[in-house]
Amino acid sequence: MTMMERPDLAAELRAAILAADPRLSKFAPLRRILAYDDFNSGSHGWTELLGNYNGNGDLSTVDDHMRDFRPPQLSNCTFFDVGTHGAMTGSYALKLATRAYRGHTATAIRRLTMSGRGLLQIEAYFTYKAEATIDGSAGDRFGDITWDGNLHPSEAQFGCFTVATDLCGDGGLRYHTVARYLNTTLDNTLSRQWVYPIVPEPTPREHLEGKVELAYGADFTAPDPKDWRPFGEPQELCYNEVPTKVNWHYLRWVIDTAARRNVELQVNDRIMDMSEVPVPPYKERYDSLENLLNFYFSVRTHSTVRNFLFLDSVLISTEW
Amino acid sequence: MRQVQTAVLERDTTFVSDFATEPYEVAWAGEARWFVHILAASGDGVSVRLVTQISPDGLTWCDLDGDEQVVTGPGLVTWPVGQFGQWLRLRGTVTGVNPSAKLRIYLTVKS
Repeated sequence: MTMMERPDLAAELRAAILAADPRLSKFAPLRRILAYDDFNSGSHGWTELLGNYNGNGDLSTVDDHMRDFRPPQLSNCTFFDVGTHGAMTGSYALKLATRAYRGHTATAIRRLTMSGRGLLQIEAYFTYKAEATIDGSAGDRFGDITWDGNLHPSEAQFGCFTVATDLCGDGGLRYHTVARYLNTTLDNTLSRQWVYPIVPEPTPREHLEGKVELAYGADFTAPDPKDWRPFGEPQELCYNEVPTKVNWHYLRWVIDTAARRNVELQVNDRIMDMSEVPVPPYKERYDSLENLLNFYFSVRTHSTVRNFLFLDSVLISTEW
Repeated sequence: MRQVQTAVLERDTTFVSDFATEPYEVAWAGEARWFVHILAASGDGVSVRLVTQISPDGLTWCDLDGDEQVVTGPGLVTWPVGQFGQWLRLRGTVTGVNPSAKLRIYLTVKS
Protein backbone atom coordinates (compact mmCIF):
# COMPACT_ATOMS: atom_id res chain seq x y z
CA MET A 1 0.00 0.00 0.00
CA THR A 2 1.41 3.37 -0.95
CA MET A 3 0.39 6.95 -0.50
CA MET A 4 -0.56 6.89 -4.21
CA GLU A 5 -3.05 4.09 -3.56
CA ARG A 6 -4.40 5.66 -0.38
CA PRO A 7 -4.03 9.43 -0.87
CA ASP A 8 -5.90 10.08 2.37
CA LEU A 9 -3.79 7.62 4.35
CA ALA A 10 -2.30 10.35 6.50
CA ALA A 11 -5.78 11.60 7.40
CA GLU A 12 -6.98 8.07 8.10
CA LEU A 13 -4.01 7.38 10.34
CA ARG A 14 -4.51 10.62 12.18
CA ALA A 15 -8.20 9.87 12.69
CA ALA A 16 -7.39 6.37 13.93
CA ILE A 17 -4.83 7.66 16.40
CA LEU A 18 -7.22 10.27 17.73
CA ALA A 19 -10.05 7.75 17.95
CA ALA A 20 -7.89 5.32 19.89
CA ASP A 21 -6.97 7.90 22.51
CA PRO A 22 -9.76 8.23 25.09
CA ARG A 23 -8.48 11.68 26.03
CA LEU A 24 -8.74 13.03 22.48
CA SER A 25 -11.45 10.95 20.88
CA LYS A 26 -14.15 13.05 22.50
CA PHE A 27 -12.78 16.08 20.63
CA ALA A 28 -12.54 16.97 16.94
CA PRO A 29 -9.31 18.97 16.77
CA LEU A 30 -8.07 20.92 13.80
CA ARG A 31 -4.64 20.12 12.35
CA ARG A 32 -2.44 21.38 15.18
CA ILE A 33 -3.35 20.97 18.84
CA LEU A 34 -2.09 24.03 20.65
CA ALA A 35 -3.35 23.06 24.08
CA TYR A 36 -5.07 20.10 25.70
CA ASP A 37 -6.19 20.96 29.19
CA ASP A 38 -7.26 18.18 31.49
CA PHE A 39 -7.69 19.69 34.91
CA ASN A 40 -6.58 16.62 36.79
CA SER A 41 -3.06 17.94 36.27
CA GLY A 42 -3.44 21.56 37.29
CA SER A 43 -5.05 24.65 35.90
CA HIS A 44 -3.04 24.59 32.64
CA GLY A 45 -2.61 28.33 32.40
CA TRP A 46 -6.27 29.22 32.90
CA THR A 47 -6.04 32.10 35.32
CA GLU A 48 -8.03 34.99 36.66
CA LEU A 49 -8.45 38.03 34.43
CA LEU A 50 -7.56 41.31 36.10
CA GLY A 51 -7.76 44.84 34.75
CA ASN A 52 -4.56 46.82 34.21
CA TYR A 53 -2.83 48.83 36.97
CA ASN A 54 -0.41 51.73 37.09
CA GLY A 55 3.37 51.77 37.16
CA ASN A 56 3.50 51.45 40.94
CA GLY A 57 1.54 48.23 41.06
CA ASP A 58 -1.23 50.15 42.77
CA LEU A 59 -4.22 47.88 42.44
CA SER A 60 -6.58 50.69 43.41
CA THR A 61 -6.00 51.89 39.85
CA VAL A 62 -7.68 48.77 38.42
CA ASP A 63 -11.08 49.49 36.93
CA ASP A 64 -13.85 48.72 39.42
CA HIS A 65 -15.63 46.34 37.06
CA MET A 66 -12.39 44.39 36.38
CA ARG A 67 -10.84 44.10 39.82
CA ASP A 68 -12.61 41.05 41.24
CA PHE A 69 -13.05 38.28 38.69
CA ARG A 70 -12.10 35.61 41.24
CA PRO A 71 -9.40 32.94 40.98
CA PRO A 72 -10.41 29.73 39.17
CA GLN A 73 -10.50 26.62 41.34
CA LEU A 74 -9.76 22.96 40.82
CA SER A 75 -12.98 21.29 41.87
CA ASN A 76 -14.08 17.70 42.21
CA CYS A 77 -17.68 18.88 42.06
CA THR A 78 -18.66 18.10 45.63
CA PHE A 79 -22.16 18.97 46.79
CA PHE A 80 -24.02 19.01 50.08
CA ASP A 81 -26.40 16.22 49.17
CA VAL A 82 -24.37 13.56 47.35
CA GLY A 83 -20.81 14.40 48.26
CA THR A 84 -18.26 14.13 45.50
CA HIS A 85 -19.72 14.06 42.01
CA GLY A 86 -16.39 14.13 40.20
CA ALA A 87 -15.70 15.44 36.72
CA MET A 88 -16.14 13.82 33.31
CA THR A 89 -12.45 13.01 32.89
CA GLY A 90 -11.16 11.92 36.27
CA SER A 91 -11.86 13.75 39.49
CA TYR A 92 -11.20 17.40 38.76
CA ALA A 93 -12.69 20.20 36.72
CA LEU A 94 -11.81 23.87 36.53
CA LYS A 95 -14.45 25.85 38.39
CA LEU A 96 -15.29 29.51 37.90
CA ALA A 97 -17.33 30.86 40.79
CA THR A 98 -18.97 34.26 41.08
CA ARG A 99 -19.70 36.05 44.28
CA ALA A 100 -23.27 36.01 45.52
CA TYR A 101 -23.67 39.53 44.16
CA ARG A 102 -26.04 40.43 41.36
CA GLY A 103 -24.05 41.14 38.22
CA HIS A 104 -20.79 39.71 39.50
CA THR A 105 -18.60 37.92 36.93
CA ALA A 106 -15.91 35.26 37.36
CA THR A 107 -13.39 34.58 34.61
CA ALA A 108 -10.65 32.24 33.51
CA ILE A 109 -8.36 33.38 30.74
CA ARG A 110 -5.70 31.51 28.78
CA ARG A 111 -2.93 33.56 27.17
CA LEU A 112 -1.25 32.45 23.97
CA THR A 113 0.01 34.07 20.78
CA MET A 114 -0.64 33.28 17.15
CA SER A 115 2.09 31.68 15.05
CA GLY A 116 -0.05 31.91 11.93
CA ARG A 117 -3.46 32.90 10.68
CA GLY A 118 -6.45 30.80 9.78
CA LEU A 119 -9.02 28.64 11.49
CA LEU A 120 -8.84 28.54 15.27
CA GLN A 121 -11.01 26.25 17.36
CA ILE A 122 -11.75 25.78 21.02
CA GLU A 123 -13.54 22.73 22.32
CA ALA A 124 -14.65 22.10 25.87
CA TYR A 125 -16.76 19.86 28.02
CA PHE A 126 -18.59 22.09 30.46
CA THR A 127 -21.46 22.31 32.85
CA TYR A 128 -23.05 25.19 34.72
CA LYS A 129 -24.84 25.46 38.05
CA ALA A 130 -26.16 27.95 40.54
CA GLU A 131 -25.07 27.35 44.13
CA ALA A 132 -27.49 25.34 46.21
CA THR A 133 -29.35 27.23 48.92
CA ILE A 134 -29.92 25.15 52.04
CA ASP A 135 -30.65 27.66 54.77
CA GLY A 136 -34.37 27.82 54.08
CA SER A 137 -34.22 31.28 52.56
CA ALA A 138 -34.75 30.36 48.92
CA GLY A 139 -38.33 29.16 48.75
CA ASP A 140 -39.79 27.21 45.88
CA ARG A 141 -40.06 30.04 43.42
CA PHE A 142 -37.51 32.18 41.63
CA GLY A 143 -37.83 34.18 38.43
CA ASP A 144 -40.34 32.39 36.27
CA ILE A 145 -39.76 28.97 37.81
CA THR A 146 -41.83 27.37 40.52
CA TRP A 147 -40.61 24.05 41.80
CA ASP A 148 -42.80 21.30 40.35
CA GLY A 149 -40.66 18.27 41.11
CA ASN A 150 -38.94 18.68 37.75
CA LEU A 151 -38.01 22.31 37.13
CA HIS A 152 -36.13 23.80 40.08
CA PRO A 153 -35.86 27.51 40.95
CA SER A 154 -32.07 27.12 40.97
CA GLU A 155 -32.10 27.08 37.17
CA ALA A 156 -33.50 30.62 37.10
CA GLN A 157 -30.74 31.72 39.47
CA PHE A 158 -28.11 31.07 36.82
CA GLY A 159 -27.41 34.11 34.65
CA CYS A 160 -25.10 33.45 31.71
CA PHE A 161 -21.78 32.03 30.64
CA THR A 162 -19.50 33.26 27.88
CA VAL A 163 -16.66 32.00 25.74
CA ALA A 164 -14.65 34.68 24.00
CA THR A 165 -11.34 35.67 22.51
CA ASP A 166 -9.07 38.68 22.68
CA LEU A 167 -7.07 38.85 19.46
CA CYS A 168 -4.64 41.38 18.08
CA GLY A 169 -2.17 41.58 15.23
CA ASP A 170 -1.28 43.07 11.91
CA GLY A 171 -0.20 46.38 13.37
CA GLY A 172 -2.24 46.50 16.54
CA LEU A 173 -5.66 45.70 15.14
CA ARG A 174 -7.50 44.27 18.11
CA TYR A 175 -10.85 42.52 18.21
CA HIS A 176 -12.93 40.04 20.16
CA THR A 177 -15.14 37.20 19.15
CA VAL A 178 -17.79 36.37 21.71
CA ALA A 179 -20.48 33.75 22.24
CA ARG A 180 -22.70 33.91 25.32
CA TYR A 181 -25.36 31.56 26.57
CA LEU A 182 -27.94 33.80 28.16
CA ASN A 183 -29.72 31.40 30.46
CA THR A 184 -31.83 34.11 32.03
CA THR A 185 -32.51 37.74 31.33
CA LEU A 186 -31.50 40.29 33.94
CA ASP A 187 -34.95 39.91 35.53
CA ASN A 188 -34.35 36.16 35.98
CA THR A 189 -36.67 34.95 33.24
CA LEU A 190 -35.46 31.93 31.28
CA SER A 191 -34.04 32.99 27.92
CA ARG A 192 -31.77 30.07 26.88
CA GLN A 193 -30.53 32.13 23.95
CA TRP A 194 -27.08 32.42 22.41
CA VAL A 195 -26.12 36.07 22.04
CA TYR A 196 -23.21 38.20 20.83
CA PRO A 197 -22.20 41.83 21.46
CA ILE A 198 -22.14 44.42 18.69
CA VAL A 199 -19.48 46.53 20.43
CA PRO A 200 -15.91 45.72 21.49
CA GLU A 201 -15.19 45.23 25.17
CA PRO A 202 -14.39 48.45 27.08
CA THR A 203 -10.66 48.56 27.89
CA PRO A 204 -8.62 50.04 30.73
CA ARG A 205 -7.08 52.47 28.23
CA GLU A 206 -10.51 53.77 27.31
CA HIS A 207 -11.18 54.27 31.02
CA LEU A 208 -7.87 56.11 31.49
CA GLU A 209 -8.78 58.30 28.53
CA GLY A 210 -12.08 59.15 30.21
CA LYS A 211 -14.20 57.42 27.58
CA VAL A 212 -15.80 54.89 29.86
CA GLU A 213 -16.24 54.26 33.57
CA LEU A 214 -18.05 51.20 34.78
CA ALA A 215 -19.19 50.20 38.24
CA TYR A 216 -18.38 47.02 40.11
CA GLY A 217 -20.62 44.26 38.79
CA ALA A 218 -20.97 45.78 35.33
CA ASP A 219 -20.87 43.38 32.41
CA PHE A 220 -17.25 43.78 31.31
CA THR A 221 -17.76 42.13 27.91
CA ALA A 222 -20.40 44.64 26.80
CA PRO A 223 -22.04 46.57 29.63
CA ASP A 224 -25.21 47.75 27.88
CA PRO A 225 -27.80 44.95 27.52
CA LYS A 226 -29.02 46.69 24.37
CA ASP A 227 -25.67 45.91 22.72
CA TRP A 228 -26.35 42.17 22.67
CA ARG A 229 -28.06 40.35 19.79
CA PRO A 230 -29.35 36.79 19.48
CA PHE A 231 -28.02 34.23 17.08
CA GLY A 232 -29.47 30.81 16.41
CA GLU A 233 -32.63 29.55 18.02
CA PRO A 234 -33.11 29.23 21.79
CA GLN A 235 -31.34 26.13 23.05
CA GLU A 236 -32.33 24.21 26.12
CA LEU A 237 -29.35 22.65 27.86
CA CYS A 238 -29.27 19.94 30.49
CA TYR A 239 -29.24 21.84 33.78
CA ASN A 240 -30.78 18.67 35.17
CA GLU A 241 -33.32 20.03 37.58
CA VAL A 242 -31.43 20.64 40.83
CA PRO A 243 -28.23 22.54 41.61
CA THR A 244 -26.22 19.45 42.52
CA LYS A 245 -26.37 17.26 39.41
CA VAL A 246 -23.78 17.93 36.74
CA ASN A 247 -24.13 16.77 33.15
CA TRP A 248 -21.26 17.56 30.83
CA HIS A 249 -21.95 19.39 27.57
CA TYR A 250 -19.82 19.57 24.45
CA LEU A 251 -18.85 22.94 22.97
CA ARG A 252 -16.89 23.53 19.77
CA TRP A 253 -16.36 27.04 18.48
CA VAL A 254 -14.50 27.97 15.32
CA ILE A 255 -13.25 31.38 14.24
CA ASP A 256 -11.05 32.47 11.35
CA THR A 257 -8.19 34.75 12.36
CA ALA A 258 -7.16 35.31 8.73
CA ALA A 259 -10.54 36.81 7.88
CA ARG A 260 -11.20 38.05 11.45
CA ARG A 261 -14.58 36.33 11.31
CA ASN A 262 -16.70 33.96 13.30
CA VAL A 263 -17.36 30.61 11.67
CA GLU A 264 -19.61 28.36 13.73
CA LEU A 265 -20.54 27.26 17.22
CA GLN A 266 -21.52 23.72 18.09
CA VAL A 267 -23.09 22.99 21.46
CA ASN A 268 -24.07 19.35 21.83
CA ASP A 269 -26.19 18.44 18.81
CA ARG A 270 -26.75 22.02 17.66
CA ILE A 271 -24.44 23.66 15.10
CA MET A 272 -25.00 27.38 14.68
CA ASP A 273 -23.67 29.28 11.70
CA MET A 274 -21.87 32.36 13.04
CA SER A 275 -20.40 33.58 9.77
CA GLU A 276 -22.72 36.57 9.73
CA VAL A 277 -22.07 37.44 13.38
CA PRO A 278 -20.06 40.67 13.21
CA VAL A 279 -16.65 41.08 14.80
CA PRO A 280 -16.26 44.76 15.65
CA PRO A 281 -12.60 45.80 15.93
CA TYR A 282 -11.35 48.61 18.12
CA LYS A 283 -11.04 51.84 16.17
CA GLU A 284 -7.67 52.59 17.73
CA ARG A 285 -4.56 50.46 17.46
CA TYR A 286 -3.05 48.69 20.46
CA ASP A 287 0.62 48.31 21.31
CA SER A 288 2.27 45.41 23.11
CA LEU A 289 -0.27 42.87 21.86
CA GLU A 290 1.18 41.60 18.59
CA ASN A 291 -0.27 38.18 17.74
CA LEU A 292 -2.30 38.18 20.95
CA LEU A 293 -4.36 35.01 21.26
CA ASN A 294 -6.42 34.88 24.43
CA PHE A 295 -9.43 32.75 25.17
CA TYR A 296 -11.59 33.34 28.19
CA PHE A 297 -14.59 31.74 29.78
CA SER A 298 -16.75 33.76 32.12
CA VAL A 299 -19.85 33.28 34.20
CA ARG A 300 -22.13 36.05 35.44
CA THR A 301 -24.86 35.85 38.00
CA HIS A 302 -28.08 37.78 37.54
CA SER A 303 -29.17 36.91 41.08
CA THR A 304 -27.70 37.07 44.56
CA VAL A 305 -26.69 33.42 44.27
CA ARG A 306 -23.20 32.27 43.32
CA ASN A 307 -23.01 30.93 39.77
CA PHE A 308 -20.52 28.29 38.70
CA LEU A 309 -19.10 27.27 35.34
CA PHE A 310 -17.22 23.96 35.39
CA LEU A 311 -14.82 22.95 32.62
CA ASP A 312 -13.88 19.29 32.53
CA SER A 313 -11.38 19.68 29.74
CA VAL A 314 -10.50 22.11 26.97
CA LEU A 315 -8.75 21.64 23.65
CA ILE A 316 -7.49 24.49 21.45
CA SER A 317 -6.43 23.69 17.89
CA THR A 318 -5.61 25.51 14.69
CA GLU A 319 -5.25 24.98 10.95
CA TRP A 320 -2.03 26.94 10.80
CA MET B 1 6.46 17.46 40.31
CA ARG B 2 4.08 18.66 42.99
CA GLN B 3 1.16 20.88 42.11
CA VAL B 4 1.09 24.31 43.76
CA GLN B 5 -1.43 27.05 43.37
CA THR B 6 -1.74 30.54 44.79
CA ALA B 7 -5.12 32.22 44.86
CA VAL B 8 -5.55 35.89 45.68
CA LEU B 9 -8.81 35.76 47.58
CA GLU B 10 -8.84 39.47 48.39
CA ARG B 11 -6.63 41.73 46.38
CA ASP B 12 -6.90 45.27 47.64
CA THR B 13 -9.91 45.19 49.88
CA THR B 14 -10.71 47.57 52.71
CA PHE B 15 -12.63 45.96 55.55
CA VAL B 16 -14.43 48.04 58.16
CA SER B 17 -16.46 45.20 59.69
CA ASP B 18 -16.44 41.44 60.08
CA PHE B 19 -16.01 39.40 56.92
CA ALA B 20 -15.44 35.97 55.43
CA THR B 21 -13.58 35.32 52.20
CA GLU B 22 -15.19 33.52 49.30
CA PRO B 23 -15.00 29.71 49.52
CA TYR B 24 -11.98 28.16 47.80
CA GLU B 25 -11.75 24.51 46.81
CA VAL B 26 -8.62 22.71 47.91
CA ALA B 27 -9.65 19.06 47.80
CA TRP B 28 -6.57 18.18 45.75
CA ALA B 29 -4.11 19.76 48.17
CA GLY B 30 -2.32 18.24 51.14
CA GLU B 31 -1.12 21.45 52.69
CA ALA B 32 -1.96 25.11 52.62
CA ARG B 33 -0.69 28.39 53.94
CA TRP B 34 -2.28 31.79 54.37
CA PHE B 35 -0.37 34.96 53.62
CA VAL B 36 -2.20 38.08 54.71
CA HIS B 37 -0.65 41.35 53.68
CA ILE B 38 -1.97 44.28 55.67
CA LEU B 39 -1.52 47.16 53.28
CA ALA B 40 -2.95 49.82 55.59
CA ALA B 41 -4.82 50.07 58.86
CA SER B 42 -6.51 52.95 60.65
CA GLY B 43 -8.78 53.65 63.61
CA ASP B 44 -8.06 53.75 67.31
CA GLY B 45 -7.19 50.31 68.58
CA VAL B 46 -7.80 48.71 65.22
CA SER B 47 -7.27 44.98 65.08
CA VAL B 48 -8.28 42.18 62.76
CA ARG B 49 -8.62 38.66 64.12
CA LEU B 50 -8.23 36.00 61.44
CA VAL B 51 -9.42 32.42 61.79
CA THR B 52 -9.25 29.58 59.25
CA GLN B 53 -12.59 28.00 58.46
CA ILE B 54 -13.41 24.69 56.79
CA SER B 55 -16.52 23.20 55.27
CA PRO B 56 -17.77 19.86 53.98
CA ASP B 57 -19.91 21.40 51.25
CA GLY B 58 -18.81 24.99 50.66
CA LEU B 59 -22.00 26.19 52.32
CA THR B 60 -21.69 25.54 56.03
CA TRP B 61 -18.56 26.55 57.92
CA CYS B 62 -16.78 26.02 61.19
CA ASP B 63 -13.45 27.12 62.61
CA LEU B 64 -10.60 24.71 61.86
CA ASP B 65 -8.98 25.05 65.25
CA GLY B 66 -8.64 27.49 68.09
CA ASP B 67 -5.76 29.38 66.53
CA GLU B 68 -6.27 32.93 65.47
CA GLN B 69 -3.96 35.56 64.09
CA VAL B 70 -4.31 39.14 65.29
CA VAL B 71 -3.02 41.97 63.15
CA THR B 72 -2.97 45.61 64.15
CA GLY B 73 -0.94 47.36 61.48
CA PRO B 74 0.83 47.05 58.14
CA GLY B 75 2.91 43.96 57.46
CA LEU B 76 2.70 40.36 56.38
CA VAL B 77 1.48 37.49 58.52
CA THR B 78 1.43 33.83 57.58
CA TRP B 79 0.45 30.52 59.05
CA PRO B 80 0.14 26.93 57.82
CA VAL B 81 -3.06 24.97 57.52
CA GLY B 82 -3.44 21.21 57.47
CA GLN B 83 -6.10 18.49 57.74
CA PHE B 84 -8.65 20.74 56.09
CA GLY B 85 -10.85 18.65 53.81
CA GLN B 86 -12.30 20.19 50.67
CA TRP B 87 -12.77 23.92 51.24
CA LEU B 88 -10.97 26.78 52.95
CA ARG B 89 -11.92 30.32 53.78
CA LEU B 90 -10.80 32.98 56.21
CA ARG B 91 -13.04 34.61 58.79
CA GLY B 92 -12.09 38.07 59.95
CA THR B 93 -13.28 40.07 62.95
CA VAL B 94 -12.57 43.79 62.77
CA THR B 95 -12.51 45.78 66.02
CA GLY B 96 -11.53 49.29 67.13
CA VAL B 97 -12.94 52.82 66.84
CA ASN B 98 -13.85 53.50 63.21
CA PRO B 99 -11.57 50.63 62.22
CA SER B 100 -10.37 50.09 58.70
CA ALA B 101 -7.91 47.55 57.32
CA LYS B 102 -6.83 47.13 53.72
CA LEU B 103 -5.87 43.53 53.08
CA ARG B 104 -4.42 41.33 50.40
CA ILE B 105 -5.15 37.71 51.19
CA TYR B 106 -3.23 34.92 49.51
CA LEU B 107 -3.97 31.23 49.86
CA THR B 108 -1.12 28.99 48.71
CA VAL B 109 -1.95 25.30 48.42
CA LYS B 110 0.30 22.39 47.55
CA SER B 111 -0.36 18.75 46.69
